[in-house]
Amino acid sequence: MKRLRLLLGLLLAFALVAAACGGDDDEATDEDTDTTAAEEVDAGEDDESTDADAEGDEDAAASGDAITLQFWHAMADDLGAVVDELVDGYNASQDEVVVEATFQGTYDDTYNALLASFEAGTAPNIVQNFDLAAQTMFDTGRLVPAHQLMEPGEADAFLAAPRDYYSDDEGMVALAFNSSTPIVYYNAEMFETAGLDAPPPDWNFSQFLETCEALEEANGLDTCVTFGQVGWYFEQILANSGGLYFNNDNGRTDRATEVVFNEGQGVEVFTFLTDLFVDGHAPNLGNTWSDTDSVFFAEEAAMIFDSTSGARGFQENADFEVKTAFIPHSDSSERNGVVIGGAALWLIDSDDDAVNAAAWDFMRYMTEADPQITWHTGTGYFPVLASLQESPTPELATFWDENPNFVTAIEQLATTNTANADGSPNYAVLGGRAGPFPEVRRIVTEAYSAVIDGGATPQQALDDAATQANQALADYNAFFE
Amino acid sequence: MMKTTLPAGANTARFRGRRRRPGSLARDIKAYLFLAPTLVVLGIFVYFPIIESFRLSLNRVAPFGSAEIFVGFDNYTRLLGSSEFWNNVVVSLFFMVGTVPVGIAIAVAIALLLSYPVSRLSWLHRTLIFVPVVISSAVAGVLFRWLYNPVVGHINTWLGAVGIDGPEWLTSSNWALFAVTVAVVWRQLGFNVIIALAGLQQIDNSYYEAAKVDGAGVLARVRYITLPLLSPTLLFLVVINVIISFQAFGEIDILTMGGPGQSTENLVYSVFVDGFVGTRFRGLASAQAFLLAVIIVAFSFIQFRGFRKRVHYR
Repeated sequence: MKRLRLLLGLLLAFALVAAACGGDDDEATDEDTDTTAAEEVDAGEDDESTDADAEGDEDAAASGDAITLQFWHAMADDLGAVVDELVDGYNASQDEVVVEATFQGTYDDTYNALLASFEAGTAPNIVQNFDLAAQTMFDTGRLVPAHQLMEPGEADAFLAAPRDYYSDDEGMVALAFNSSTPIVYYNAEMFETAGLDAPPPDWNFSQFLETCEALEEANGLDTCVTFGQVGWYFEQILANSGGLYFNNDNGRTDRATEVVFNEGQGVEVFTFLTDLFVDGHAPNLGNTWSDTDSVFFAEEAAMIFDSTSGARGFQENADFEVKTAFIPHSDSSERNGVVIGGAALWLIDSDDDAVNAAAWDFMRYMTEADPQITWHTGTGYFPVLASLQESPTPELATFWDENPNFVTAIEQLATTNTANADGSPNYAVLGGRAGPFPEVRRIVTEAYSAVIDGGATPQQALDDAATQANQALADYNAFFE
Repeated sequence: MMKTTLPAGANTARFRGRRRRPGSLARDIKAYLFLAPTLVVLGIFVYFPIIESFRLSLNRVAPFGSAEIFVGFDNYTRLLGSSEFWNNVVVSLFFMVGTVPVGIAIAVAIALLLSYPVSRLSWLHRTLIFVPVVISSAVAGVLFRWLYNPVVGHINTWLGAVGIDGPEWLTSSNWALFAVTVAVVWRQLGFNVIIALAGLQQIDNSYYEAAKVDGAGVLARVRYITLPLLSPTLLFLVVINVIISFQAFGEIDILTMGGPGQSTENLVYSVFVDGFVGTRFRGLASAQAFLLAVIIVAFSFIQFRGFRKRVHYR
């Protein structure tokens, strides 16, 4: 008897769970990546009412045979508004496909949501994911690589750097969408006070420090520069100095098994960066992307390292004239160039060719000239199309004349060679590729503290970081043995 | 309590008798029906995740999907042998020592002051004290981040005005944990004060009057009447605050992200970093979560045991 009752109780519980889950399924259909065209049509119809409410002009959905696509992105605030503008533009441009854009939080959040959606069967059709996640995205095995859908030669429309960054042996896997690099923003008035000219494009660490000290002295500053202790500037200045981050050609000819940033250029670059804090040339704000802004705006520092994507913000929010310069490189190297940063659009396989084709059509649209111009001028992420840089539209040319800060970013990348003189790939600026790259970046941020706060030498801190990073690489690579 | 009021064996005898009665099955089903909503919610959101995270802790889970490699207790042995894990345990303990006794002491002191209504405005004082509780830890974190900013923050600006060169609150390992502790104590204070105040108001005034008649001063009354009679409330506050201190997350995430180095990385933050930031090592994160649960259960057990004799229940 006792057992029977227990069984009954359990059965009841299960029935309720099943009922609850069933309800979920019905609701999830709208957002689901459906596996058959028929279901896709249903989803489109379901969405009709909400779309009509929200936008009032979605004829496409009303026709009943439109394909509805889910697009997840990680662009907040002002950037997100520009994304919505582009998506609306696409929806209005044709009546076969309706794209629903959803902001999913940070790149980390978006990625976590994506992995969860694979398990729940609610994956989006297109997802925006950032540079460092490239290898992990490849490894999900859930992508339709762009090269499978491209016409021959189509990839050549892209600038070499974003094209190669997101390519594997067979061609482009994802479409670069929002591409950025780090640049130096500076307070032009403080440069004037110190009697300094604009920094040369190929300035090295010594020249940087001379500039720094001159700025401090002339302007009565404690600190000349501010930047957050994030991994990105180390990666970029290392690349600009010709140094590699991972073995196996930065993880591009085979899976990276070890980091190599703790030797040669890596040590020189990391010493330069940490010395800026140790010697008091930069305020120690820790691992931050944003606290540095207030220091720069409050004129407590004359220079700031930040992403080109902030160009518009810096220009509009500063009470002084802001100009831009290339990032420096080590004394013992020639200027090598920068790695593309930012994010790309990835096509998630829906097992339905028609849906995938629709998603591809949207991705192509987002990387076409007009949307890229809107995107560039609204944010500072630069256009990824080669044609726009070779022969800019009159609108774009005027914009660049009026906003020279947006041009610095483009020139810094344009003067970066993704191939060496002998034709071999320039792996340093192609950028590192490894599954646990985000983890490795996090480990590097701790290496900053080990030096600045813990008193370790840059070499010790990097060696320690390398040990941890190599463990992360081994743990990841174990899935491919 | 129940055990002592009922005759020995009465419990079981009664239940046995009831079980044999006809129609009891229907009643039991009814009981399960009433329990079902709770059981389902608990099952889905508590018990299943616990079982699942234990299972994950025995595996290495692919950061790019759901592939798993069974590794037995490797995640645990690795944690127990790593200096990072023990650093995080020590940070959690330091944090507990920093927040719990100080936080409760301040709260009781404020509650004592508030319990003597000096003016008609005591409701206002109580409201003001309670306000930080309703502020989310994220908002509180952002506020303190501004205050602590070494270049443009208020604290160092004021310190500078009186000739003190303020430290780098959040980026020096000497100060970061202290700075986070202050933020957490501040936000938790209102809750503690309200609970302590409620406890104080339970104490009958006649005890104080009797003590006064016997010539006891203010301190003696606090020492011999207030604190003993407040001890059940204090036990509750200690247990709750210890758990809250172990689970502190919001302020740490916003103020320091566990840094500098790992000097403010407690166990919860480490679980978050390994499980959800950048490259997700969910097996390792699950193992840490499990060890954290063991530690919290152990602490709660010790507290109840240790306090049992000292707590004075009326």
